[in-house]
Amino acid sequence: MQAVLAIPKIVTGGLVLLAIGVMLYGVFMRYVMLPITDWLDVDPINFFWVEEVGETTLIWLTLIGAAVGVGERSHFTLTILTHHLPIRAQRIIHVGNNLLIAAFGGLVAWLGLKLAILNAMLTSPALEFSLAWLYASSVVGGILMALYALDAARRPAGPDHEITDVRE
Amino acid sequence: MILAATVLVFVALLVLSLPIVFCLGAAGVTGLWLGGFPMQQLGSSLVAASQSWVLLAIPSFVFAGSLMERAGMSHSLVELARALVGWLRGGLGMSVIVVSYFFSDICGSKMAEVSALSSALMPPLARAGYRPEDAASLIASGTAMGMLVPPAIFMIVISAVTNQSAVALFLAGFIPAAIIGLCLCILVLIQAHVLGWPKDTALSWHRLLRASREAAVPMVIPVVILGGFYLGAFTATEAGAIVALYSLLAAVFYYRNVTWMQVLHIAYESGVLTGVVIFLLAVATIFQYLMGLSGVPELLGRLLQPLEATQWLFLTGVAIMTMLFGMLLEGLPAAVVLIPVVFPIATKIGIHPVHFDIVQTAAVGIGLFMPPMGVGLLMALRFANVSVFDHARHYWPYLVALLIGLMLIICIPELSLFLPRSAGFIKQSG
Repeated sequence: MQAVLAIPKIVTGGLVLLAIGVMLYGVFMRYVMLPITDWLDVDPINFFWVEEVGETTLIWLTLIGAAVGVGERSHFTLTILTHHLPIRAQRIIHVGNNLLIAAFGGLVAWLGLKLAILNAMLTSPALEFSLAWLYASSVVGGILMALYALDAARRPAGPDHEITDVRE
Repeated sequence: MILAATVLVFVALLVLSLPIVFCLGAAGVTGLWLGGFPMQQLGSSLVAASQSWVLLAIPSFVFAGSLMERAGMSHSLVELARALVGWLRGGLGMSVIVVSYFFSDICGSKMAEVSALSSALMPPLARAGYRPEDAASLIASGTAMGMLVPPAIFMIVISAVTNQSAVALFLAGFIPAAIIGLCLCILVLIQAHVLGWPKDTALSWHRLLRASREAAVPMVIPVVILGGFYLGAFTATEAGAIVALYSLLAAVFYYRNVTWMQVLHIAYESGVLTGVVIFLLAVATIFQYLMGLSGVPELLGRLLQPLEATQWLFLTGVAIMTMLFGMLLEGLPAAVVLIPVVFPIATKIGIHPVHFDIVQTAAVGIGLFMPPMGVGLLMALRFANVSVFDHARHYWPYLVALLIGLMLIICIPELSLFLPRSAGFIKQSG
């Protein structure tokens, strides 16, 4: 289980580097190559796909990153009452919360699957890949979210992360 | 009925410490189910809201900020600030404010900023005779001001929520941040005379020159951002990519204190933070959709109607709400829940969207550092090892200075609009 849940972490880092790389490629093409091809009066190199690949990467990054965030307890949380409760009550709330997150992840995956099937025949404007690939991010992200939540439910509540992990 | 049930579910789960994004999600699903609306709204919103070129700036700015912090660039900025203003009475205290301005330029994360500045400045502040309460107050108020200095993640999010140019907002933030910084510096001067804070160092051109040379590497970033945006050379997303590449090259080849494994780990951390932020934004669209259908904007519009005649009064009222939301729910959840509801009213009564966004950004920054629950403040206090209530007695002058700065930004829209207007992002009549 732990090994399986480590893979999305590697994918998350990889997606960030991919997104930055794609954006840099776009910047390089626009500000360096385009003036050169203009100056040489040759056909410009196409980089119309950059925006589409960047946005698709961001969708996948959002869904997978949010799922990993469940395991890492990185989501914004307000802790005003629960830490004053008896340990047993805290444990029940911890398990209940994670089961709710798992259910939400399941719903996201289910809705994503329906949308992927519904849009499978449609294609993206630039690269013409099936739009099912966009909605597949919800399927993968939702399933991972459920898995991370179920894994977290098994573990102790642990220290509060509401301060150290909340960033603006 | 739908609205009441949705809000009830949200509040109940919030109190039970369910992460805010899932409180919004569960409340949204409840509202969709009770209202008989298609559940597919949730599935399509998640993809639609995260499919954004502007939001793509978030991972690169977070990645760049974390890399620069890890490479220790904050230390050279601290040295520069001390060389610039350390020769004044209370100079070390004032350096905290100045370095917050510089550091916010390279670091998109408030918590990383509090952590970096606290570790770098708390020990010298203590050695110079500043009480821990004052040290925490300086760092908290300086970082609150830094919220307005680009590239802040909050600005990217609010630009997406209110459909404004992120570049216009980035440009708009520079002067208001300087105004709040000035208010804080005046306070530090007064405090220095009242509490007998010493001068930090003698004025030395040699030291200033050396500090400037060492800080040149991180200071390239604000110059690139301000210059590039002002000249319209690139978009916020492109700037993010350029800054990310620059910080990678600086960290690995100039500072040489970050390994490739650490780079990968920073990429991973940036990805998780990006996912957390954009997922929140995406899930909140369901909540906004339900509030729209339930007539909340109209209801709030009627509630705020007495304030509509006077723009500054309206902005003040909304800023107070945002500060409280920012203190309770932290900045980004406040932005995605409250701002979409009040934004249409603001534009209807003639408030410029960029001015509105800047005021809300400042208010969220103050809210994050507002006692007793602002998470930024709690983190600064953790470093200073003082309690919220002990600290509050010493913190109120800083809060007053922040609020005076906020009121100046509210009452003088041109402070926010001058730079984006002169760069051509705002029409002359705006």
